[in-house]
Amino acid sequence: MKAKRVKIITIIAIIVLITMISFIGVYTQVQNRMENQVKNYSYAMDINGTRTIVLTPSTDNKTTIKDTDGKEVENSSNLTDAQIAEKGYTKEESKYNEDDVLTSDNYEKSKQILEERFKDLEIKNYLIRVNEETGNLTLEIDENTDADTIVSNITQVGKFEIIDSDTQEVLMDNNDIKLVNVMYGSNSSQTSTSSGTSAYLNIEFNDDGTKKLENITGTYVNTTSNNTSSNTTDSSDNTQNTDTTTDNDTSSSTTNKKITMKIDDEKIMSTSFDQVIKTGKLQLTVGTSTTDKTKLKENAKKASNIAMILDNGNLPIKYTTDENKYILSDITTDTLQKVEIGVAILAGIALIILMFRYKVNGILSAISFIGFASILLLTIRYANVILSIEGIFAIVIILILNYIFNDKLLNNIRKANKEKVEIENTKKQIKETYKNFVLRIIPISIMSIAFCFANWIPMSSFGMVTFWGIVLILIYNLLFTSTLVKLQSGIVEAKDNKLNKPKVKSSKKVKEEKTDKIVEKKEKNNNTKTAKEQKTKANNTKNKTNTKRNGKNK
Amino acid sequence: MKKLTLKSKIIIALLAIVLIAGISIILTIGFNKDLEYEDAQNIQLYINSDFEVSDIKQITDEIFQNQEVMIQKVEVYKDSVSITTKEITDDQKSQLVSKINEKYSRDIDEKNTDIKVVPHIKLMDLITPYIIPFIIATVIILIYLVIRYRKLGVLKVILKTVGIIILTELELISLIAITRIPLGRLTIPMVITVYMLSLIGITTKYEKQLSSKIKEEKKEEEK
Repeated sequence: MKAKRVKIITIIAIIVLITMISFIGVYTQVQNRMENQVKNYSYAMDINGTRTIVLTPSTDNKTTIKDTDGKEVENSSNLTDAQIAEKGYTKEESKYNEDDVLTSDNYEKSKQILEERFKDLEIKNYLIRVNEETGNLTLEIDENTDADTIVSNITQVGKFEIIDSDTQEVLMDNNDIKLVNVMYGSNSSQTSTSSGTSAYLNIEFNDDGTKKLENITGTYVNTTSNNTSSNTTDSSDNTQNTDTTTDNDTSSSTTNKKITMKIDDEKIMSTSFDQVIKTGKLQLTVGTSTTDKTKLKENAKKASNIAMILDNGNLPIKYTTDENKYILSDITTDTLQKVEIGVAILAGIALIILMFRYKVNGILSAISFIGFASILLLTIRYANVILSIEGIFAIVIILILNYIFNDKLLNNIRKANKEKVEIENTKKQIKETYKNFVLRIIPISIMSIAFCFANWIPMSSFGMVTFWGIVLILIYNLLFTSTLVKLQSGIVEAKDNKLNKPKVKSSKKVKEEKTDKIVEKKEKNNNTKTAKEQKTKANNTKNKTNTKRNGKNK
Repeated sequence: MKKLTLKSKIIIALLAIVLIAGISIILTIGFNKDLEYEDAQNIQLYINSDFEVSDIKQITDEIFQNQEVMIQKVEVYKDSVSITTKEITDDQKSQLVSKINEKYSRDIDEKNTDIKVVPHIKLMDLITPYIIPFIIATVIILIYLVIRYRKLGVLKVILKTVGIIILTELELISLIAITRIPLGRLTIPMVITVYMLSLIGITTKYEKQLSSKIKEEKKEEEK
C-alpha cells in the first residue's frame, strides 16, 4: 500500500513539473537577463499580423525609341535627346495601362493570377481584396523574412516574348506556354567552361507553341559550325541549353537570324539554334553551373521565381506597389489571455464537478487533466504547429474530448466497483473505455490527418492540433490517468481486505457454527410450518363462524 | 416504420423551424458580416510612440459611437495606428486627428491624412481553400464508415452520414443568420467544430446500432 502511495505521489509530482514547465517556463540567465528556454508558439497571420501590400494600376508612361523604319531600338535607355535626334530616331510615349485594359474583368483576372503565383510559391495563407472601382489589390501575407522577396517577385507582369531580333516581330508569347518549372542537371556539355550542377528553367509549350518553336528553330538556325555562342545542344533530349547570365550574341557573323527572348520587356537573351526542336521543350540555364550549394540554391530560387511568373500567365495590368506595411492583428495578447482565462475558468468548474462526482478518483483525474492540458500545449510548441484561430478552437475541442474520456472512464469504474472495489474490475473497465473511445474517434482521427495535409494554414493548424491531441489522449491517459486510478483502486482494495480479513477459526468452531446454522434453518422451517398451520386453523374457524351467521340470517 | 417519440418529434419540429427561419433570413436580409467582409474605410496615423489600443478605443468610441471599429498597431515599432471602420466622414477624421494630437502631443496634419478604401473579402474566397480538404476527409471517412458498419446497410450509412453532416451545417448556418452573429473569422472554426461533433455523434449512434444488431444475431443463432 505504501509503495502504491509513493507511486501516486511521484506521478503527481511529474504532472506538477510538466505543468510548471508549460505554464511558467524554464528560465536561465542569458547575458544578465533571465530568458525562458521553452519554445514560443508560432502564430498564423490572423493572430500574428500580416504584411499588407496595396498594389495600384500603374499610371506611368513608357518611352520607346524607334528608328527610321519604325522598329524599336534596343539598349536605348542611355541615349540622350541629342543622340536620338542625330540618329533620326523618334521618341514615343505610351501608357503602361491603356484605358481599355482597366476593366473589372482584368482586375479579377489579375487577382486569380496572383493567387496562382502564391500557390506556386507555396504560400499557405493569404488574402486578396479587389477594389472593383479603382483596380487596387490589397494583398495580405504572413510576415516573415521572405515577405519582401515575395512582394518584389509577385508584382511582375510576367510578359513573355520571343521576338525576331531584326524585325521585332513577336514570334511566341505567354499564350504558347503550357508549363514552366525548374530542373537540375549536371553540366556535361563539351563547350561548358565550368562543371557542377545547374538549375534549368524548363519551358514546355502547348501544341501551338510546339509547332511555332519547331518553325523558329528551323528558321533561326546557326549556319556555321565554329559558333562561339555559349548555346549548346543537348543530344539526349534535343533541347537547347542557354546560359542566361551571359550575353549570347557572340555568334559568328555567318549566323543569319537571331531571336530575342524577353520577360517584361527586358531582354533575357539573344540566340540562334543549332538544331530543330521538335519536343516543344526549351531548357535555359539560370546562372552558371556550380558545386557550391548556396549558389545553386540562389540560382534555383531565381529560376523558380521566373517559373512562377511565367507559369501562370501574365498580369493584364501593370501594378505598382503603393503600400507595403506590417500590420499587427487586432487580436492582441490581452485578447488571447482573456480567452485563456475563460477556458481555464470553464475547465476549473468542470474539474470541480468531476471531483464531486467521483471523489478521490475525481481528484486524481482532475490533476491528470491539468497535466494533459500542459503537455498538449508543450507538444503544440515543439511540434512546430502554427496556431491560428482554428487551432485554438481545436485545443478547446481536445480538452473537452479528454474530459469526456476521463468522465466515461471514472463512471465505468464506479459502476463496476459498486459492490466491491477490485483492481481487476478497474483494469477491465479501462480496457473497455479505451476500446469504445477509439472506435468513436476513428472518423475524427481520419479528418485530422486529412486536414494536416491541407495547403492552407488555418486548416492544417486545426488538423495538427487535433491529431496531436488525439495521440496524447490515448498515450497520456494510459500512462498517467489510468495508472493513478489503478493505483487508487489497489489501495482501496487492500484497505477493504484488511478491514474484512476473516479471523483464523478452529475446526471445532467451524463445526459448531455449521450445526448452529442447520439448527437455525430447521427452527425457521418449523416456525414457518406452525405459522402456516395456525393461519389455516384461524381461517377454518372464521369460515365456520361465517356459515353459522349466514344460516342465522337466512 | 419506426414510431417517433414525443421528444424526437419536438426536436425535429424545432430543427425544421430553425432551418426555415434561417433560410428565409438569409434570402431576405442576408448575413450580418464582420468588418473584414464588408467594404470599409481606413485611416493610418503615425503616433511616434508606443500606445495602448484601449486608449485609442476610447477615442474611437467617442467619435464613431456604435460603429464597429478595428484598431491595429502598424509596423515592428508599433508606433502607428490603423483604424478601420465602415465609414469615416471628414468631420470624424478631423475629430480623430485632433484627439490623437491632443492625447499624444503630436501635430499630425489632417490634410496629409488620407482615408483609404478597404475592399471586402469575398465570401467565396473565405470558403474555397476549405472545400477540397473537406471533400477528401469526408470521402475517406465515408469509406471507413461503410466498411465498419456494412451490417447496417451500405447505402443507408452513406445517405445517413452525408445527410446528417449537411443538415448540421445548415442548422449552424441558419443559427448564425438568426442570431445575427457576424460572418467572419470565427465562422469557419465553428463550421469545422460542428463537422467534428456531427462525426462523433454519427459514430456513437452507429456503434450502438451495430452492437444491438450483433446481439440480435447472436440471439437468433442461439435459437
